[in-house]
Amino acid sequence: MKPPTDRGSLALGAYVYAVLAFIIVPLVIVIPMSFSQNDYLAFPPSGFTLKWYSEYFDSRQWRAATWLSVQVALLTALFASVIGTAATYAMIRGHSRLVTAFQIALIGPIIVPHIALAVGLYLFFQTIGLSGTIPGFVLAHTVLTLPFVVFTMAAALGKVDANLEAAAMSCGATRFQAFRLVTLPLVLPSLASSALFAFIISFDEPVVSFFLSGVRQKTLPRRMFEDIEQNLTPVIPAIATLLIMLSILILLGAHVLRSRSVTR
Amino acid sequence: MGLGARGRRIEGKTEGKRGSVNIVSARQSASGASIRISRLEKRFGAVSAVDGVDIDIAAGEFIALLGPSGSGKTTILMSVAGFEFPTSGTIHVDSEDLTYVPSNRRNLGMVFQNYTLFPHMSILDNVAFPLKMRGLRTAERHARAEAALATVRLAGYGHRRPNELSGGQQQRVALARAIVYQPRVLLMDEPLSALDKNLREDMQLEIKRLHAELGITVIFVTHDQSEALTMADRIAVLRDGKIQQIGPARQLYERPANLFTAGFIGEMNFVDVRVESVGDDVAVALPWGETWRLPATAAVEPAVAGEAAVLAVRPERLQLGVSPAGQVIAVTLSDVVYAGAALLLIGHLPDGTEMRARIPGASQLSSLVPGDVASFTIPTEAMLLYRGKRR
Repeated sequence: MKPPTDRGSLALGAYVYAVLAFIIVPLVIVIPMSFSQNDYLAFPPSGFTLKWYSEYFDSRQWRAATWLSVQVALLTALFASVIGTAATYAMIRGHSRLVTAFQIALIGPIIVPHIALAVGLYLFFQTIGLSGTIPGFVLAHTVLTLPFVVFTMAAALGKVDANLEAAAMSCGATRFQAFRLVTLPLVLPSLASSALFAFIISFDEPVVSFFLSGVRQKTLPRRMFEDIEQNLTPVIPAIATLLIMLSILILLGAHVLRSRSVTR
Repeated sequence: MGLGARGRRIEGKTEGKRGSVNIVSARQSASGASIRISRLEKRFGAVSAVDGVDIDIAAGEFIALLGPSGSGKTTILMSVAGFEFPTSGTIHVDSEDLTYVPSNRRNLGMVFQNYTLFPHMSILDNVAFPLKMRGLRTAERHARAEAALATVRLAGYGHRRPNELSGGQQQRVALARAIVYQPRVLLMDEPLSALDKNLREDMQLEIKRLHAELGITVIFVTHDQSEALTMADRIAVLRDGKIQQIGPARQLYERPANLFTAGFIGEMNFVDVRVESVGDDVAVALPWGETWRLPATAAVEPAVAGEAAVLAVRPERLQLGVSPAGQVIAVTLSDVVYAGAALLLIGHLPDGTEMRARIPGASQLSSLVPGDVASFTIPTEAMLLYRGKRR
């Protein structure tokens, strides 16, 4: 016998499918458009071509923007994961009264609107000459991605028994050896996963990059904005499709790493 | 070869006390160190966790720190381990002042309550970890770790992971890791409290056997009095950061030094009395009007005429029936409990004070039922007198 269906559960079902649709539809629209033969963005697409992909790969400007974004994202991932892990470790193991203040400062970038952060960084970097430079981008993106690293690492480090380090030290390890040989290997999957998140967040970060990009140094999202303003060719959906693939790969990677850390 | 020289290097201060060290030496008897804890104090803000503790521990002695939670026993152990630095006082191991030496340079073995094996390492690597920290080469590390595993009867488990072992096995691995570099002192922080009862008793014997075999000095923290009584040469009873009594199990049980220890160790009956006179013997007035004359030796703390005092007697010292060898009491029984080896009789004295008796050889007593008034004799030598009032 089937359980009775009521209006409430029907409405809930409709709501859930609506949410899924709103998430999926843009992807379903963007991907076919990238193969369209039209010279302008149009839906539904007509014909099939790979020329927008080759235009992206052949363009020196697109390649330069991509390479800049890759460099910035790699360095951001490195700095954010190292600094974020160290900071989280201090928060979790430390006994300072400043821990709460420290925590708020670290996750602040999630609360502060990115546009406010971007304007502030722009004005500041302009005066000290970091605007449009790789160090400038990396600094800004590190600030933006730190909260994500802190959240991931707080969950991971919170699960590591502090007595494990005490045990290592009673075995003769220094405090740093105890961290490197015991705690770090245990949180390594989470560390790698948070680095991947930092990478992907930096790689397609639009707001701060929009303000910090110079005439020559443009990140990929900034370059895409310009192209939308000036040309609006299907090279945009082509790049978007590539970015979607990259994100999916990275999220899958992060998932694999996390599930591995759980089974341990 | 090379083992002997390396072994001595690991030993550091005890160099030369023993001959050369080899792989088998994990089984040979080693000399423990003496420990002297002097005027140890640890304050957390306004709270004194440890308040002027002195303990002298002989080389090779097994000492238990026993007390309720918050009594300071763990803080003392952590100060010896180097995870806490005392506010004042000193800790010497042999003649070396270790009070402020970092934990990783103390060369003391430590076993924690929750096993604390490194989950990402094999059992062998876990046990070999202290040797790795001391710069031994892989082959040698593994050989000695294998020997230590054999000592705790886990030979052949080296390739497994900690999560593949039972709680008791994990704690034995932790034990192997703590003794693999032949420390002079083994510190244990409630190591058996996570295990179930049968396993705990096995491990108590295992640890006692290891202690006898290795001759190592052991400090063992526990809140379980039967564990302390079973295992330790001497027991330090702690309360509110102070030592209440320190001595061998028999002394603590037979003649507790104060009311706290009397109530904390084992079962005890307490009766409020008033001291009438103190002379060759002590006369005390009981709540129901009788006056008893106790030998002067019954007063554990000096009795003062006119003051309140507490008479204490163990339930198993009560004898059923009237006998001239002591004082006779009439107990109105409220519960008669068959408890295997003995019969537990619970009742109250004429003034309402609860009294328990444990009478062995229960079968012939089966006629007793709640409501009966039974006469018991308290042998004179079983009575202990303390100052103050029972709580």
